[in-house]
Amino acid sequence: MIVSVKNLVKRYGELVALDHLSFDVKEGEIFGLLGPNGSGKTTAINCILSLLYYDKGEINLFDRPMAPDAYDIKRDIGIIMQDVAVFEELTVYENIDYFCSLYVRDREKRRKLVEEAIDFVGLNDYRKFHPKKLSGGLLRRLNIACGIAHKPRLIILDEPTVAVDPQSRNNILDGIKKLNEDGATVIYTSHYMEEVEQLCSRIMIMDKGRVIAKGSKEELKGMIKLGEKITVEVFGLGSSSLSELKKLPNISIVEYKDKTLSLKYNRGKHNLTTLLDFFRENDISFGRVYSELPTLNDVFLEITGKELRD
Amino acid sequence: MFLNIFINRLKCTVRDKELVFWTLIFPLVLATFFNLAFSGISKAEVFNAVDIAVIDNEQYQRDNDFKNFIEQHSKDDPAGENDVKLFNVKVVSQKEADKMLDNNEIVGYVTYGEPLRLTVKDSGFDQTIVKEIFDQYSQTVSSVVSIVKQNPSALQNGLAEDIGKSREFTREVRIGTKGKPDTTVNYFYTLIAMSCFYGAFFGLKEVTDIQANLTKRAARLNVAPVHKLKALSAGLLAGIMVSFAEILLLLCYLIFGLKIDFGNQTGFIILTSFAGCAAGISFGALIGSANKKGEGVKVAILIVSTMSASFLAGMMFDKMKYIVQQNVPVLSYINPIALITDAFYSLYYYDTHTRFFVNIGLLSGFTVLFCLATYLRIRRQKYDSI
Repeated sequence: MIVSVKNLVKRYGELVALDHLSFDVKEGEIFGLLGPNGSGKTTAINCILSLLYYDKGEINLFDRPMAPDAYDIKRDIGIIMQDVAVFEELTVYENIDYFCSLYVRDREKRRKLVEEAIDFVGLNDYRKFHPKKLSGGLLRRLNIACGIAHKPRLIILDEPTVAVDPQSRNNILDGIKKLNEDGATVIYTSHYMEEVEQLCSRIMIMDKGRVIAKGSKEELKGMIKLGEKITVEVFGLGSSSLSELKKLPNISIVEYKDKTLSLKYNRGKHNLTTLLDFFRENDISFGRVYSELPTLNDVFLEITGKELRD
Repeated sequence: MFLNIFINRLKCTVRDKELVFWTLIFPLVLATFFNLAFSGISKAEVFNAVDIAVIDNEQYQRDNDFKNFIEQHSKDDPAGENDVKLFNVKVVSQKEADKMLDNNEIVGYVTYGEPLRLTVKDSGFDQTIVKEIFDQYSQTVSSVVSIVKQNPSALQNGLAEDIGKSREFTREVRIGTKGKPDTTVNYFYTLIAMSCFYGAFFGLKEVTDIQANLTKRAARLNVAPVHKLKALSAGLLAGIMVSFAEILLLLCYLIFGLKIDFGNQTGFIILTSFAGCAAGISFGALIGSANKKGEGVKVAILIVSTMSASFLAGMMFDKMKYIVQQNVPVLSYINPIALITDAFYSLYYYDTHTRFFVNIGLLSGFTVLFCLATYLRIRRQKYDSI
């Protein structure tokens, strides 16, 4: 295992920030830590990195116990923090070179690594720029370059796309996929379910310091009853038709508001076909029809009773 | 790795414009202002010869003694004992003298006769000086005439020479004969001391960039395979280098630019500056590590403590140094800025180095103490919260 966390407990006074947290990260995967703000994702990362004291638990990285002076382990870790952590006084090149120099002593080897990192994040045109002259998106790229230049085996990204424009976000996500393809194991924390769903091979959903669910996105969606959501634009629907709709197979919830009919189905097949047949048989005219499979937000909603975005 | 961190910290420190302003530009500007202010004081203390006129009449032309007296006091160093020239005299007619007085070309004119008459337009410092000198002359002449009347042989016994000389009955003896007493030089000493202690900002910067609970940059450093104390040592060394270089620049400006006299013990002056920088940086490191307050609060603490210590060392009021020494002497020994100031002071005024080395010893002691306390604060490698 690249990361193994067992029964991790971290308290801030009365508040239990991490409540017997356990998970493993296997080599080569992109492991997503998904949860709302304050769910304990960053605290878990800081404990894994030995930056924070914790009350109880065991943390192993690369099958060795993690400690502040475990330099052999640290050598293989790259961290990209939520806030941009670079020096304002150094140029783009100097910043990457400085952080890389903390891991790689050989100057020639370091020069190559820094060049590769600059190339990787696309900052070639900005290498002599100071951070304050970079846009938010470019700063994020610099932040990533500083964390990955030494080619770590394990890369931890703590909400790297917060306050980033969509184009830069896509660049960052593509970059992470590329790093993973090049052999790095990735831990990715976010409260954006779409990102995690798009990126991660395995996901752990957290809330209030506890693990709510973990598995692949398919496994997570398989844990809940919800099988499908269908939304239909209906121009006129009587109460008798609504009552009849509720009798259709697999239907769990039916709502009609502002000419929009929302239907939630439990697992089952041919839901859309059955619904369209019903409309035809009852001479109900309808407009646009949307069918959605459950999202991670639905998983979170069904387990915790609240939206992931809350 | 130490060298890489050192070089990068050096770059960060030198390129921090705000820091360089407060630690280099501000002291240079302050030194310039001090120099402007104190050169005004010095000028005010210099006596300028008073412009007067003597009416060119028959009595004046006849009395060689009076003419000699006027000539004597109208030339530089009249008695050959570093005396100052008292008058710029013009011998003119009554009409011309009146005109000159009206035009303020002279402060007054003397009409020689019995009695000697001084005509002035206003009352003032210069007029009083002229009056006092001519009063003294008249009194001396009157005394000589009286003595000679009673004892005519007195003239042969050197009465005239004797009475014309002013004698000092007390002798000035300087303790330590190196520097001329100069109250203004202490202001420059405190300025250097304050600048040394502004190095505290470098110390604060280094600690801030190494404590994971203070900045994200530091958190990134803490995750790297680098011993924290190695990184801190490299940073503090860079800070000392920059701070010391700035103090040397300030010293050069004071000595060569403003011509401030620091005596001729260059080695000891440099040693004092270095000890001051080290004490300042270690103090900043201690403040940086002492609590979790924001950088703004810590900077405020540094400024307040440095300015207070400078005030007590006499930067704003030169007598304060002596007031503290008389009333709370222990404060002089625990105030690092007072120690730096006093080290410069003792180098300038004293022949022996005992007092100088006491100051340097105490400063070094404080540096060690500050470093030790900083180490105890930052040696932990994990935090309760970030």
